[in-house]
Amino acid sequence: MTLVTQLELIKPTDLPAPPQAALQIIRACAREEVTSSEISDIAETNPALTAELLRVANSPLYGISREVTSISNAVAVLGLRALRNLVLCISIHDAINKEAIPGFDAEVFWEDSLRRAIVARQLAALVKQDADECFTAGLLQDFGLLILFYLHPEQTGEWKKLRCLSPSERLQQEQAIFSVTHTEIGKKLTDFWELPESLGIAIGGHHAHIYSDSKQGPLSAILQAADWINSVFITNNPSQALSAAVSRTTQVIGIDEQQVKDICEALPAFVTDAAISLGLKIDRQVEFEQVMRDANVRLAEENTSYQELTWRLEKTLRERDALAAALNNELELAREIQASLLPLDNNDTPVHGVNVSAKELSGDFYDFFKLDDGRVMFNLGDVSGKGMHAALLMAKTSSLFRCLGKKNHSPAELLKTINREICETSIRGMFVTMVAGIYNPEDGTVVLVNAGNPPPVLFNPKATEKKIRLLAADTPPLGIVPDMDYDEISINLQQGHLYIYSDGITEGYTPNDEELGVMGLVSLIANLDNMPVQKRLDTIIQHLSQSSKGQRDDMTLLILE
Amino acid sequence: MECITKTEGDFSVIYLAGEIDLYCSADARMEILAQLSESRPVIVDLSRVEYIDSSGIASLVEGLQMAKKNKLAFSLAAVSEAAMQVIKLARLDKVFTIHPTVNDATKN
Repeated sequence: MTLVTQLELIKPTDLPAPPQAALQIIRACAREEVTSSEISDIAETNPALTAELLRVANSPLYGISREVTSISNAVAVLGLRALRNLVLCISIHDAINKEAIPGFDAEVFWEDSLRRAIVARQLAALVKQDADECFTAGLLQDFGLLILFYLHPEQTGEWKKLRCLSPSERLQQEQAIFSVTHTEIGKKLTDFWELPESLGIAIGGHHAHIYSDSKQGPLSAILQAADWINSVFITNNPSQALSAAVSRTTQVIGIDEQQVKDICEALPAFVTDAAISLGLKIDRQVEFEQVMRDANVRLAEENTSYQELTWRLEKTLRERDALAAALNNELELAREIQASLLPLDNNDTPVHGVNVSAKELSGDFYDFFKLDDGRVMFNLGDVSGKGMHAALLMAKTSSLFRCLGKKNHSPAELLKTINREICETSIRGMFVTMVAGIYNPEDGTVVLVNAGNPPPVLFNPKATEKKIRLLAADTPPLGIVPDMDYDEISINLQQGHLYIYSDGITEGYTPNDEELGVMGLVSLIANLDNMPVQKRLDTIIQHLSQSSKGQRDDMTLLILE
Repeated sequence: MECITKTEGDFSVIYLAGEIDLYCSADARMEILAQLSESRPVIVDLSRVEYIDSSGIASLVEGLQMAKKNKLAFSLAAVSEAAMQVIKLARLDKVFTIHPTVNDATKN
């Protein structure tokens, strides 16, 4: 949310201000010829201010051994500058008190301010600047923030978040929320109240990056360093804030890391004492060592949870790899079992086949076995779908064929029985296309049934009439219609060859990425027919394995010689 | 694959389009079974099917089997050339009731 707060439209007269007596004392102190009785006269017009001045002057903050009993006395003992600074601190703090901004935790704000003031005083000693001047400027450097919340009390909820940010992030957020920053408002009010010019410059410039202007000089730099050191005690990440504070402090006023740490260590005790002297109510100060220890504990906790997460992730990855390996082993075993369901190709039987699966497991299969009378039972099947579920039905169907086929040598009856079996347990509409038959190598006769499979190709180059014959299916695949009768087709190979194949062959892609099709297969067969049978099988599979489109389906091919 | 269902009188007409293969036939299957499980007769329009594999055909077969079991009508309509080639090759034209158009299917 952005509030459009225009600096020039903010009227200082509408804002809380230090009492007139305080402003008069501050202005009077700036005049070299001013007398202590003159200051005293002004102070008398505001007894509350006078009483507060005397109380703080006698507090341990100033470490004066004998009692200061009057304002004249205070001028003599403290000096004009110190008195002026004291008036500044007291009057501005009182002007913007906690009642001025409902819901705003002013006590926490002044505690932070006091911490900045004390750091500024410590830094002043290190870089040989006026300690009292720096203390006052440190105390008041952020009072513009109070004015921002005074103008926009509905934004007080943002204070907690703003407070924990680094000084530079806080300034950016202020700009985003209010369209104006505490440095701009602070400068404007110090000018309006005619407070010391050096204070106005320091308040307005303590967030600047480079102090090229000599007038801005060391006071702004000290305030900036004080701001960063204060953030170590209030941020959520003290370790990071300490590094940032050291880096910033080294950069702007040239003190080293150890000096920053020394200031931090001494700070809580100083803050407690100064709060008592100035009458500020603050929480118990946490020792620097404790702040860093807490941060380390938090960091360790975060590291532990990070490590635990890493450990859990590693464990999950290990489990995943183990599961994948186990699954691969299972697949490998399934592949071996499936391969064992295919017949061993030997030159003893004039039937030869090849099966190439598209996935790990195949839904296609073929089988052949010799009967005692020399005839050969053969089949080629294709289960709908691919992969594991197809492989399981493939195993069942091929087992049924091998087992029943040894006793029942009628292809039509055999398929009728197998079909009934599959229909009984069929799920998900799965079906099996199959060509099954019996071949008598003695006389070349083949009796076969085609249940929904692509048409086997009978190729006989020496035939006088039809050199090519396609044996199209006349019945649907197995597993769909329970009481199906199958018609047998009888042929004679003579000196030709019978090619039986699954649709993965005819739907396969040629090296030109075109679907082979039945006619493509026929012309391929015609070209290869002089080759030895194993070479023909290999060449056809090779032809369908070069497409950039990959392998679409399981490919199975059986040749009867 | 596209799978859109429209209502034509008592019928649910499921329009399948594109390539129906192993990777998407499950969606077609779910839709067919969902319509049948609501006791609606189903017509599957295959006019825009460019390719259908055996897993796609199996989804249609399962629909047919479930419809028979529940005594509901199940037919294919306006079958594209590509799909018809697969159906005829496997002689599934003997299994499915096939109509030239969805309109014809609703009348029978």
